[in-house]
Amino acid sequence: MATKEQAAPYSIQNRLLVGFSLLLAVFLGLTGVVLDRAFRDSIEAGAAEQLQLQVYVVLSAIDEENGEFFLLEDLREARFSQLNSGLYGFVSSRSFGELWRSDSALDLRLEDDGILRLDLPVGESVFSRTQTAEGDELFLSSYGILWEDGISEYNFSVLETAAPYYSEIAEFRTSLWSWLGGVAVLLLVLQVVFLRWGLAPLHRMARDLKSIESGASEELQGFYPRELKSVTDNLNLLIKSERKQQGRYRTTLGDLAHSLKTPLAVITGVAEKLSREKSSGLPADTVKQIDTVEEQLDRMNQIISYQLQRAVQANGASALARQVSVRSVIDRILQALDKVYADKAMTHSESIAEQAVFFGDERDLMEIMGNILDNAYKYGHSEMQITVEVISAGREQLSIVVEDDGPGIVEEQRQFVLQRGARADTLAQGQGIGLAVVTDIVDSYGGLIDVGNSKLGGARIQIVFENPKIS
Amino acid sequence: MKLLVVEDENLLRQQLVQSLTENGYVVNGAEDGRSGLYYAEEYEYDAAIIDLGLPEIDGIELIGMIRKAGKQFPILILTARGDWQDKVAGLDAGADDYVVKPFQMEEILARLNALLRRAAGFAKPKLEFGPLSLDLSAKLLTVDGEKVDLTAYEYKMLEYLMLHPGQVISKSELTEHLYAQDYDRDSNVLEVFIRRLRQKLDPEQTLNPIETVRGQGYRFSLNEDS
Repeated sequence: MATKEQAAPYSIQNRLLVGFSLLLAVFLGLTGVVLDRAFRDSIEAGAAEQLQLQVYVVLSAIDEENGEFFLLEDLREARFSQLNSGLYGFVSSRSFGELWRSDSALDLRLEDDGILRLDLPVGESVFSRTQTAEGDELFLSSYGILWEDGISEYNFSVLETAAPYYSEIAEFRTSLWSWLGGVAVLLLVLQVVFLRWGLAPLHRMARDLKSIESGASEELQGFYPRELKSVTDNLNLLIKSERKQQGRYRTTLGDLAHSLKTPLAVITGVAEKLSREKSSGLPADTVKQIDTVEEQLDRMNQIISYQLQRAVQANGASALARQVSVRSVIDRILQALDKVYADKAMTHSESIAEQAVFFGDERDLMEIMGNILDNAYKYGHSEMQITVEVISAGREQLSIVVEDDGPGIVEEQRQFVLQRGARADTLAQGQGIGLAVVTDIVDSYGGLIDVGNSKLGGARIQIVFENPKIS
Repeated sequence: MKLLVVEDENLLRQQLVQSLTENGYVVNGAEDGRSGLYYAEEYEYDAAIIDLGLPEIDGIELIGMIRKAGKQFPILILTARGDWQDKVAGLDAGADDYVVKPFQMEEILARLNALLRRAAGFAKPKLEFGPLSLDLSAKLLTVDGEKVDLTAYEYKMLEYLMLHPGQVISKSELTEHLYAQDYDRDSNVLEVFIRRLRQKLDPEQTLNPIETVRGQGYRFSLNEDS
């Protein structure tokens, strides 16, 4: 089959693999982002709640006199009294700013004091983030209250270093992404396995088709999944009908040959009879005409034989080739020819590699070997030699050599007898069409034919076929 | 020599029968495989010519059936297709040679001659018995190198006897193989032919090549030269 040179064929497996990998990346990525966000939010919510509680702690332990705030008792949370403990309490008002800070915050410098002057409605709390002047992140919870005097509004604020929370988030993140990564790898491996398993019938079908191509089997065998069954059934049907078609074609040609050549034989018989009588005093003109009829009959016969034989083998190396044992074909022909040439008592020595197979139609190999061996019997004196080898020079080659001890074929004749498609009506009288047909068949299989001299003294015909690759 | 021709094309069969008869054979023609098989089983033949493309029973099948019936006479096949698959199949089935259609009558005659001679166990186209030499293709008898003129019937009879040397051939067998079915079989005629033949072969009566086996028939009694 003549196919255009194509770019590397794409693979269904790779397509599915790429598609699924993208899906996996998007799905796991989004999952990761959502989980990360949720965890972060819950950590922050926890922090906010914690700080809110601390605000109440501060609120319950503090009192005011003449605008001065002081602790009535030690705060239950020890961290408020340890310098730079990370937990800081503040009391502030919108107009005066900071009014009190816990001992822990004595050293603390905020990047922006403004957060202590927030305009918070009474009874409302706000959670936010801020930074120290050094750039350390802090969580802040502020609560707006109306003091006992019923006039003053203060903000009670608690700040806490965010670092521990962040490191917890970072830890979670690390473990989250490594888990997701692990899952991704596992899923990819599973996916490859599933894909192979799922596509295995396709691979098997490709293998089966290959073995049909190479002639190792006749049809797609074995079980195929439902989805492929209709395809394989149809393929089998196609192969069968193609073979049947070939068979029918040959039968039709055979019938055609029979129905053309039988009347031709009758005419030949009549002409022969006439020509026998031509000595007995027919007019010169009539004798000439009889000769013309005989000549033309001969030509017609050659043309019909040649074209029919060409038509029968015109399929050449079809995709539906079969493997034909070279030995069995040669044996059958030798057996037949031994009968036909019984008077000649030709001795033949054969060296035929057992594993030598011809990838093609048995009829074609028979036609090739029949013609060549017939020539060897016809022209050889007493001896012939057949050598069949499988040569592996890169690709496997089948080499068939037939030699005889006859007169051989002279140099100038060699090209002529092999001429591919040599038109039968240009052939000289009595010249066979055998080798021209052989050349046509060999050519249709992409093989080579060579005519040379044999050690035995006669002709040496070599034919080389390249075997198809079987993977 | 008695031949069977199985060919479905009327004209061709008639031609074959006529030409072969003209060449001294006794010929039966059959127009399809079925009647071909009938003839082959019912009568004794020395050879058959069978077309491969026959109606009813095709040629290859017919050959197989003839061989299965134990008939050993040589068979020449006629094939129109001329491809090797057909030739080999025919020869495999039990035929002995083939001719591709269309053919020259001489080719058929030459092949037949060779087949008959081979079937009788002779390798060379000339049968040599002492001073007697019979050239089967030229249909020529020489005694001590001298050509001897024979009539068609004398030749046929001698050929048959020489192709079966040492065997006792009954008069009825001889008649069967020399005459067409409907010929008036008078054994006296046969005796006349034999007597004339003896005179021509052996005028001095020193060789006695054709023996009479009392009550059984005739025997060609010379030994073949090797």
